Amino acid sequence: MANKPKIGLVLANVPAYSETFFNSKIKGLQENGFDVILFSSSKSKVSHPTCKTIFAPNFDLRFSLIFEFIFIFINCLKNLKATYKLLKLNRKDGLSVKSSIKNIFINSHFLPYKLSWLHFGFGTMALQSENVAKAIGSKMAVSFRGFDLYIYPAKFPNCYQLLFSKNVIYHVLSDEMKNTLIEYGVSAESINKITPAINVDFFQPSIKYETKNSVFQFITIGRLHWKKGLEYTLEAFSILKKQNIPFHYTIIGEGIEREKLMFAVHQLNLHSNVTFVGKISHNDVKNILEKSDFYIQYSIQEGFCNAVLEAQAIGLLCIVSDADGLSENVLHEKTGWVVPKRNPPLLAERIVKTIALSEAEKIKIRENAMDRVKREFNLTKQMELFKAFYSF
Amino acid sequence: MRKFKIAIYCGEIPPPTFIDRLINGLAEQGSKLIIIGNLTQKVSYEFNNIKIVGYSGKINKFFILMYYSLLLSLFRRKEKTQLKNWMKLNNKNNTISKIRYYPILYDKPDVFHLQWIKGIEDWVWVRDFDIKLIVSLRGAHINYTPICEPKYAEIYKKYFPLVDGFHGVSNEIIQEATKYNAEISKSNTVYSGLDLNYLTFNQQKPTNEVFQILSVGRSHWIKGYTVALDAMRILKNNNVKFHYTIVGVGQNEELQFQRKQLDLINEVEFVEKLPFDKIISKIQQSDVVLLPSFKEGIANVILESMALGTPVISTDCGGINEVVNDNENGFIVPIRNPEVMAIALQKVANLDESTYVKIINNARNSIENNHTESKMIQDMMLLYKKSYGE
Repeated sequence: MANKPKIGLVLANVPAYSETFFNSKIKGLQENGFDVILFSSSKSKVSHPTCKTIFAPNFDLRFSLIFEFIFIFINCLKNLKATYKLLKLNRKDGLSVKSSIKNIFINSHFLPYKLSWLHFGFGTMALQSENVAKAIGSKMAVSFRGFDLYIYPAKFPNCYQLLFSKNVIYHVLSDEMKNTLIEYGVSAESINKITPAINVDFFQPSIKYETKNSVFQFITIGRLHWKKGLEYTLEAFSILKKQNIPFHYTIIGEGIEREKLMFAVHQLNLHSNVTFVGKISHNDVKNILEKSDFYIQYSIQEGFCNAVLEAQAIGLLCIVSDADGLSENVLHEKTGWVVPKRNPPLLAERIVKTIALSEAEKIKIRENAMDRVKREFNLTKQMELFKAFYSF
Repeated sequence: MRKFKIAIYCGEIPPPTFIDRLINGLAEQGSKLIIIGNLTQKVSYEFNNIKIVGYSGKINKFFILMYYSLLLSLFRRKEKTQLKNWMKLNNKNNTISKIRYYPILYDKPDVFHLQWIKGIEDWVWVRDFDIKLIVSLRGAHINYTPICEPKYAEIYKKYFPLVDGFHGVSNEIIQEATKYNAEISKSNTVYSGLDLNYLTFNQQKPTNEVFQILSVGRSHWIKGYTVALDAMRILKNNNVKFHYTIVGVGQNEELQFQRKQLDLINEVEFVEKLPFDKIISKIQQSDVVLLPSFKEGIANVILESMALGTPVISTDCGGINEVVNDNENGFIVPIRNPEVMAIALQKVANLDESTYVKIINNARNSIENNHTESKMIQDMMLLYKKSYGE
């Protein structure tokens, strides 16, 4: 089909097999009649199995740098119109001639493509590429997913000033993120909320959901990263321990904070109560979720969090923090509980209260959560919203 | 007093200030010293009984290796063979080990003093050559390395019984080391000593518009800065006007994010690592020095602040309560507790004149009694002598 709408998706890395979000999005778009081209700045240059993959020039290679430059030069010559337009747009933004040319080099891999949409998968990916879409005559979309909107600007204030002055359609995961963008001066009409979704057919309880264990089983899934608030979580569990509540807490995931967390477990005397499981497969995740009673996601920063959706779908009682999108993921006292972040005593209090609920009350919350996830956060609904997004 | 020949291995030359004070003190008292380590910057000492074996760059390393290899072949052939056999048996038969080992074997000190115990496995051989092996228990390497990397717990348990003397920077850290088979009878606490002529005591309260809080330390989770920032948020909720500076963290994503999330951009400042004299003047200008750590040996910044006359608040994070007595010469708060930390900060902000003077004078006295350079040298010599049964 010659006139399939073409979407250029810009990501840092080609999504690996485990990155279900991007893979299911690509698959869904292809099935719905879109042509997807992936633009990646990955250095390993391994293409995506189902879509055309274009790699950004790599200026780290000392020996083949000259070839890289020849390639860029030819690319620009072949696409003189787009190159000239990008130069003009860069100059209009106040960039010096040198910086404008440098910017063209960085973005040269985009120039040959005629796209309906150029969609940057993370806010940070759009930095230094703010003018590319216009130069190649396509519409520009940018997704914000969490760290790019909350953590990155803490380090680099005003980094999105230029981006926000452009004609862009934004995709965010939550109303909270939409409000943040509006605070930055982005117009509400250009922001679309499309929440993450999960495979609700896969994440279904295969055993009857009820509080199964006499030693309460708690679980968290996520990278061992400071933004997940695991240290605060452990501090809350140390309060539970002092109250002689029998519990076990399993943390699934790997990451750079392992040392810090292991020390916290030691110092808070939680050796016998906490297990670090490391990274495991999707199937194993489901098995462990099914054996647990409560899911905890006491993050400091969280775009939306698929793991919480999966836990709700399986029928776990979820206690989460109020970080960013989490209070939309879980509705307080309807589908779980939302606790103010960075406050271990409050989290501990909430856990104790939840344990004490009657079985009937627990079942009500579980069913609410399962229903809502099935209804609101399924892949079909998400794909409909993306289709609407691209027909904007 | 008996004179010793002491080799000090500290990984890198120049060594940190507190090891430098030990080196100079021992040299002044007449001991011969050999300082060995990776040379990152040229150093010179005023005493000529300090010999520096610093290696850096390929040519320099080659020269050191050739020189000592030749000397050993000429004058200590048998011992060289013995060491080489040990190296082969223990998978250490490589160039860098030779560069580190040969000068020690040739100079044959009475005492080999290892500053960082993580490397203990590399140095147990010195005992085969009648050199006493002394190790320092300073902080991180004993406080959390064996907990976070269990292989070190095994290494320590295996090699600690071979050590001739343990130097602990606090009684508490020696207790910690006993978990890994360190023998109390071989251990002495040698408190860190300061040059008190340099750190002049000032009884005058600094005149700051807002309450100035200072922390100093490297950018590491063990320092507990996340807890400190949570405490700062409580101060702000309580309408306390303050400014909090952390020296030594520079760019740290977690702390930068926390500062923004807690809306503390105007109150909290992160500063890159500073030289010692600049830190001293920062301490002098501050109303309080805060140590929010989860675990420490004894933090030198607390000792320095007490010497200078700046009140201190520290978490109860190890040996610190051997120096700071709550409400007498400073303030102690529990670890991981921002609420209590905030209360303590407010308390110091509102100290009446007489209590303020009493606290800082007591603090200075504590340092003068237990943390002078001469006491440190004397106590260290006692440990060396003890290893010889004297």
